[in-house]
Amino acid sequence: MTKVGAFVRNQMRNIAPFATLIVLLVFFGAASRSFASLDNAANILTQISVTGVIAVGLTFVILCAEIDLSVAAIANATGIAVAYFTLQESYVNIANVPLPGAAAIVLALAACTFLGLVNAVGITVVGIPSFIMTLAMMQIGAGISALLVRGQIAYAVPDLVTTMGAGRVGGMPWIVLVLGLFLLAGHIVLTYTRFGRYVYMVGGNREAAEYSGVNVKFVLGAVIVISAVCSGVAGMLGVAHFGSAQQNEFDGYLLDAIAAVVVGGTSLFGGRGGIGNTIIGLLILGVLNNGLDHVEIDSFLKILIRGLILLGALIINVYVQSVRDAERTGSG
Amino acid sequence: MTDEAAPPLEIHGISKSFGGVAALRDVDLVLRRGEIHGLVGENGAGKSTLMKIIAGVHSQYDGRMTIDGQRVHFRSARDALAAGIGMVHQELSVVPDLTVAENVYLGHQPMCAGFVDWRAMFEGAHEHLASLGIDVDPRARMGALAIGLQQLIELARVLFSGARIVILDEPTSALSPPEVHRLFEVLRGVRASGRSIIFISHFLDDVLAISDTVTIFRNGRRIATERADRIDKGWVIESMIGRGHEELEGTYTHAIPLSSKPSAPVVMAVRGLGAGRAFTDVSFDVRAGEVLGIYGFMGCGLVELARALFGKLRSDTGTLSTDGRVLRLRSTSDARRAGIAFVPESRRSMLFYGEPVYKNMSISVLGRIGRMWLRPSVERDMARRHVEALSIRPPLVDTLLGSLSGGNQQKVALAKWLTWPPKMLVLSEPTRGMDVGAKEDVVRIVKGLRDQGLGVVVLSTEPETVLSLADRILVMKKGRVVHEFADGMVSKDRLLEAA
Repeated sequence: MTKVGAFVRNQMRNIAPFATLIVLLVFFGAASRSFASLDNAANILTQISVTGVIAVGLTFVILCAEIDLSVAAIANATGIAVAYFTLQESYVNIANVPLPGAAAIVLALAACTFLGLVNAVGITVVGIPSFIMTLAMMQIGAGISALLVRGQIAYAVPDLVTTMGAGRVGGMPWIVLVLGLFLLAGHIVLTYTRFGRYVYMVGGNREAAEYSGVNVKFVLGAVIVISAVCSGVAGMLGVAHFGSAQQNEFDGYLLDAIAAVVVGGTSLFGGRGGIGNTIIGLLILGVLNNGLDHVEIDSFLKILIRGLILLGALIINVYVQSVRDAERTGSG
Repeated sequence: MTDEAAPPLEIHGISKSFGGVAALRDVDLVLRRGEIHGLVGENGAGKSTLMKIIAGVHSQYDGRMTIDGQRVHFRSARDALAAGIGMVHQELSVVPDLTVAENVYLGHQPMCAGFVDWRAMFEGAHEHLASLGIDVDPRARMGALAIGLQQLIELARVLFSGARIVILDEPTSALSPPEVHRLFEVLRGVRASGRSIIFISHFLDDVLAISDTVTIFRNGRRIATERADRIDKGWVIESMIGRGHEELEGTYTHAIPLSSKPSAPVVMAVRGLGAGRAFTDVSFDVRAGEVLGIYGFMGCGLVELARALFGKLRSDTGTLSTDGRVLRLRSTSDARRAGIAFVPESRRSMLFYGEPVYKNMSISVLGRIGRMWLRPSVERDMARRHVEALSIRPPLVDTLLGSLSGGNQQKVALAKWLTWPPKMLVLSEPTRGMDVGAKEDVVRIVKGLRDQGLGVVVLSTEPETVLSLADRILVMKKGRVVHEFADGMVSKDRLLEAA
């Protein structure tokens, strides 16, 4: 009996999000006739794709007990950059620099990598807390976006980006496949590579990692760059998916991506969680957003409900950590 | 209702034990008015336990304590403070970003109509400091002052809050000779005003210079109380370690032989290394197959030196080289790549409590197991070999580290470096807080590594640790190497005398 109790307490981080997901599925399935269908399942997956790609990078950062608040701004800037280097229709009044599609994509990727490197240098070399550094980068990203489009809207992006963001293959949206690919790659790196182990160890006990000869600054810098590149890719996909590139297009995605990682059960204190948790978190958010559209509900209330769900997840997240700490000091 | 004739503090038959282990046994102590009372003894002799009882930190004990003839039993540090007992810790508790005056008045600033009365505060602080003979601008920022001055201001604060008995814990460990001199001047002034001081220190010269009376502790007992002008350092050391009295007490009371290896190749050469205030101009060689012990008191710079050897702390001056190559250590991973391994004094900063044993053991050598991909089966096999060789209990590599006992955790910390032995092993306080059995295991493991040809540096404030491991011993004092024992015999009293 106590063994079962200990197991439940240990696995609370994983059980709670999964149970939440099941409850939401059952609830919306019962409350709405249109919710439980194959088409809608595909809808949900498509809706979480852009958030999901950002959340993959963010999972690395949060596992190291850091935060990246610039993900949405970098996504926006990268999405705009790829459009900036693409030939636009004549009615689009932007003094842009049209280049071949491949060059536009490479430049956009270079741009988000560069912004990530600036974050990394600020955090690891200068020593600015990630919370503040990426807050500044959030403004810088917004500034770059504003300067490139100057209040205008661009529509055209390279063909490859359009296909990935808005195309389908065999009835399946490409963007869902791209998300799947990113989730898989993230999982493999975190679980099966040396770098992934270092991410968990740095998050679990940074000082011990340093005393074990792990290059902690390199690991922190790398996760910040990974986060920026994932955001950049998400930005390009998003621009193609929405059909336009403009300022403030990704504003809601910062909170959604953080929420997905944390609701899924990855510890805000680092060292615990992973891509599996992020998948559950993404599904919870996706089902919730989609399901609320399928039931008759005040659309203003939706915002409040999302806030409450996030609060609930945070409480569980912190509570689970304190139970672990208590057990550790109790037995150690 | 205070009795003027009664001593300010009197202690009768105080005993205290922690989990069945006696820390104090039937201790008596009398502190007189206007007296500086020196308290000496080795680490673990019971000095700090007694001070914590007097300062109200420990409230569970047997025995009797009186203040001015009134029986007291403090339940908290607040109680002790209210009864006029103040303490200045080795680690100062000043607020560096506030002014001197604010630090003096900490917690009870003079107010005027709901606002801080700055003028009254600066003037009051100036007056109070001047009365103690401390010349400092009360508007100066605390953090900008030298440590010695900060300490005097903390002392002033304790006195200002009404303390009539002040406990000073290792007050001279971080001070230069002129600063010690100035502290003593101030203490003599405090004594002249009729207040009493308990002066705890490892620096026996300082204790003998300032104290009126000296009490010596050993193994939780008060061994002797003598007037300071009637005793000398040699007698104090003998009393502290109990030579000739209880032969069986300490294993290393008698001389042990040292054996330096002047012909073996130098693995690590340190020249003129210095870092801030922590340590200055440290030079030594470590040869293959030798254990170099570095001994010193708490706060002498050992901890910082150990960190500098592993690239955790940047040194400002001097060089560090291994195998003749000068290293520029920008990070601990640079040190690891240069073949230096490090075990810090605190297990907590070395281990991952929420991870299984095998991941704790493999973290430092993952790059050797596979450049990119993890190979958990190799990690587990490797961990199983260590668990068996070091007889770690329980012998399971998937157990979470946090559920192991302290001694077993320490073995895991050592095992981290054993798979591919490094060239150099730096150990800071390797046996702190361990029981005898676990200590013996550590000694065995370290000597085994030495015999494989490693160069080992052991830095410790415990003489037994250094004596049981080292082939050659350096003594550090206030950030400098002051003595070397290279050949012949060395004993604990020689070591204590040198420090």
